[in-house]
Amino acid sequence: MTTAARGRALRRAPFLAVDLLGALNLTATLLKYLSLAVLVPAAVALGYGEPVWPFLGAAAIVGGGSFALQRATRADHRLGTREAFLVVSCTWLGAALLGALPYLLSGDPQLDRPIDAYFEAMSGFTTTGASVVTDLDALPRSLLLWRQLTQWLGGIGIIVLALAVLPRLRVGGRQLLEHEMPGPEIESLRTRIRDTARRVWFLYLALTAALIVILLAFDVTNVDERMTGFDAFGTALATMPTGGFGTDGRSLQPFAPATQWVIALFMLLAGANFALLYRVFVRRQPLELGRDSEFRLYIALITLASIVLGVEIWLEDIAAGEAAVRNAVFQTVSMMTTTGFATTDFVSWPTLAAMTLVGLMFVGGSAGSTSGSVKVVRHLLMAKILRREIDQTLHPEVVAPVRLGRTIVDERTLRAVSSFIVLYIGVFILGTVLLAAEAERSGVDLTLREAIAAAATTLGNVGPAFGFAGPFGSFEPFSDLSTVLLTGLMWIGRLEVLPIVVLLTRHYWRNA
Amino acid sequence: MKIFVIGAGQVGATIVEALHDEHELTVLDLDEERLAAIVQRYDVHTFEGNGASRSVLSQAGVKHADLLIACTSRDEANIVAAMITKAVSPRTTTVVRTSNPEYLEVWREGQLDVDFIVSSEVETAYAISRTIGVPAARQTDVFAEGQVQLVEFDVGPEASGAAVGVPLREARIPPDSRVAAIIRGDQVILARGHETIQVGDRIVVIGSPQAAQAWGELIAPGTGKVRDVVIFGAGRAGATVARLLLEQGIGVRLIEASRERALTISHELPGVRVYHATGFDPDFLERERIADAQVAIFAMRDDLKNHYAASLAKVHGVAFTIAIVHEAASGQVFEHAGVDVTVNPRQITAEEIVRFAHDPRTQQVVMLEGDKFEVLDITTKRDSEYVGLTFKEMPIRGALIGAIVRDGHAVFPRSDERLRPGDRVIVFTESRRVPDVERAL
Repeated sequence: MTTAARGRALRRAPFLAVDLLGALNLTATLLKYLSLAVLVPAAVALGYGEPVWPFLGAAAIVGGGSFALQRATRADHRLGTREAFLVVSCTWLGAALLGALPYLLSGDPQLDRPIDAYFEAMSGFTTTGASVVTDLDALPRSLLLWRQLTQWLGGIGIIVLALAVLPRLRVGGRQLLEHEMPGPEIESLRTRIRDTARRVWFLYLALTAALIVILLAFDVTNVDERMTGFDAFGTALATMPTGGFGTDGRSLQPFAPATQWVIALFMLLAGANFALLYRVFVRRQPLELGRDSEFRLYIALITLASIVLGVEIWLEDIAAGEAAVRNAVFQTVSMMTTTGFATTDFVSWPTLAAMTLVGLMFVGGSAGSTSGSVKVVRHLLMAKILRREIDQTLHPEVVAPVRLGRTIVDERTLRAVSSFIVLYIGVFILGTVLLAAEAERSGVDLTLREAIAAAATTLGNVGPAFGFAGPFGSFEPFSDLSTVLLTGLMWIGRLEVLPIVVLLTRHYWRNA
Repeated sequence: MKIFVIGAGQVGATIVEALHDEHELTVLDLDEERLAAIVQRYDVHTFEGNGASRSVLSQAGVKHADLLIACTSRDEANIVAAMITKAVSPRTTTVVRTSNPEYLEVWREGQLDVDFIVSSEVETAYAISRTIGVPAARQTDVFAEGQVQLVEFDVGPEASGAAVGVPLREARIPPDSRVAAIIRGDQVILARGHETIQVGDRIVVIGSPQAAQAWGELIAPGTGKVRDVVIFGAGRAGATVARLLLEQGIGVRLIEASRERALTISHELPGVRVYHATGFDPDFLERERIADAQVAIFAMRDDLKNHYAASLAKVHGVAFTIAIVHEAASGQVFEHAGVDVTVNPRQITAEEIVRFAHDPRTQQVVMLEGDKFEVLDITTKRDSEYVGLTFKEMPIRGALIGAIVRDGHAVFPRSDERLRPGDRVIVFTESRRVPDVERAL
């Protein structure tokens, strides 16, 4: 070693391997714009003569806070793959904060505790639809609409919205999008991500508008006596994102069968791949539906589960005729697409039917839809991975790529799918155990079946569980600790586990 | 005829040997020694230089050539030589050797300004398919990139009554096929609607690969088709054979030693079961029951490896083995080791190219019954007297059109179909009428 080399001072290693300030800066930017959404319920509050200041206050706090944070951090952020994980995770935590503030500031007795308000807001943005509210009619209209709106905003993704609308989000957009878009990435997006984001949002907007028009028509023509203008907007805002917040304490039960069928159809669409729907509706290529192997399996699973449920509830004399078919189809679509609407109180259903519903919570809709949970395509790929593993047990030399339609799925994606499913089930089991243990400690009456359902429904962003947390019930009886845990499960489920687990690894934060 | 041959390797030398007597040959090569070897044996003109260079071609006098054969081992050099020749001398017919089936595809779509392309891999695949295509057949020939097959059957007493014993126009024969001829003793009958196939006849059928399989089932019920062919080596040769066999509905297993290549080929050929293994591992052969295969084909690039693997497969009990060999002397060596069939791609390519010297429009000739009958694959002239006629109207002159290839697709014509200029027709004819047929079409 020469003295010249030794004499040069070594550069100081950065403390963190991730650009924390840059990530916070982008998060703050996103939240700043998101806080403008509060103006919608504020306008509604004005219209109904309800207090406006909780919304303006929330906008001021989050908007102002974000603005300050944005100023305090560097704008020349270096956003790479690493920062994307942090931005996505923080943005969703921040969004739920924005969602919770109007509940808190309004001082409504059902939502005035921070933990409850945050749960409700997380349930909204993650399109879960689980609620701690016990009496919906007692809530001001403006707060009710804010609940629905958080679902609609969260449905296709806050960042996808930002990409479609904001001009300056060019850096790192692709990575951000990948973490937020539901489902594994099979074919890397070849088009510009801004185009993708715009198309998805355009379709989302158009389908929501179509549903509102149909429901308003039902209201005007008295096809549905229960339907009001507010319900039309509120229900549509919770259907397209597969959210599931109802505008009535008894979900969709009081509404006419025609309304229920229409909602079932739109839930079905919301659970399909939006890129596929874009080709079908906008490019007019309806044959694409039949060619898409995920869509075929999606429809097949819905049909199969509907038949099982229909036969079961008919035999058990819960419902008969059209009602049995309608309830079976509606409940299947609602659970599988992770919407969580209900036309009947399935808490009292027999075990097979109830467990079928719990099973459906693990299926989910298609990749690139607004639904949560595992997603059909991952199940399809997992089945193919298993089939290949079994084949290779006997024939170790066989080389067999896994195909999806005509596309060959690369091995990295396959590994990601397997790890996702293992992690998902791991988190689910851990959640169930913790919920059951905490319920016992705090003296809440929760059976194991109900604990399983509660963990599955929040992790899968479905909504209703069993027992007191059933479709017509409320999550209010859970202890504070359980509520925090359930909030966490919704967050983890919406971001599809991996991005959050990555944050827990040492090498995410430190280079050496 | 003045013929230019570019490339004096194995293929070039074989071509020169076949053509030097009747034609005036000029051989171009970069390698002086190869040219010297040619000159010592044959009376031909040689020219040392790059065949893909315009100045070299002009100096060598390519303008006066009637036919240019570019048969070096480098595809791109062959194509460039042909295209330059076309530009310098539009009247020269160009024939190009390629080992990449993709060029064949591009050429077929009319996007390569070359008159004919001969792909060693495809010709090799045809040769192999001829030996194993239809188990019940005496002989199988493949035309038009595998879309048309010509099959000879001996009709035995077990043949189905659907086709035998009734006049052909009433027989229930497989769609997309027709009987070209019935050979009864010394007599050869061109099959018209009123003729009847009898037990003891030998028949010649022209049809699609599926129809050929269906005929096999008709003539010898229960022989089924070839279901299990194992190919060692998934290089271009192996892959092309696999693809052709697959198109004929034959089950194929591919064994490839390179992991990367095995992956690629499993992507390209979804219907094939691909193994990443060598043919030298007895455990593997045993575990995968390679011995149960009806046919094993050895298509690795190295003759030594093919030789060892084929011998090992024989030891394990594979019944029928075919080897693709590369060295001229390998044929004998393999046969000595008990390999049933050897195919030399260079030999086959040279033979195929030599045909162009006879009539450049005729792409393929097959001899039947010794040399009494020939099947021609011929492109109709614009001014042919038959163009515009329906098949019903065509005068019978000891010839029969079995299939036509139009826009790259095989059509098995009904009697009211009209012949169009540019159609490639597969004609079955008596050998002595070949010149008449060529003139008429």
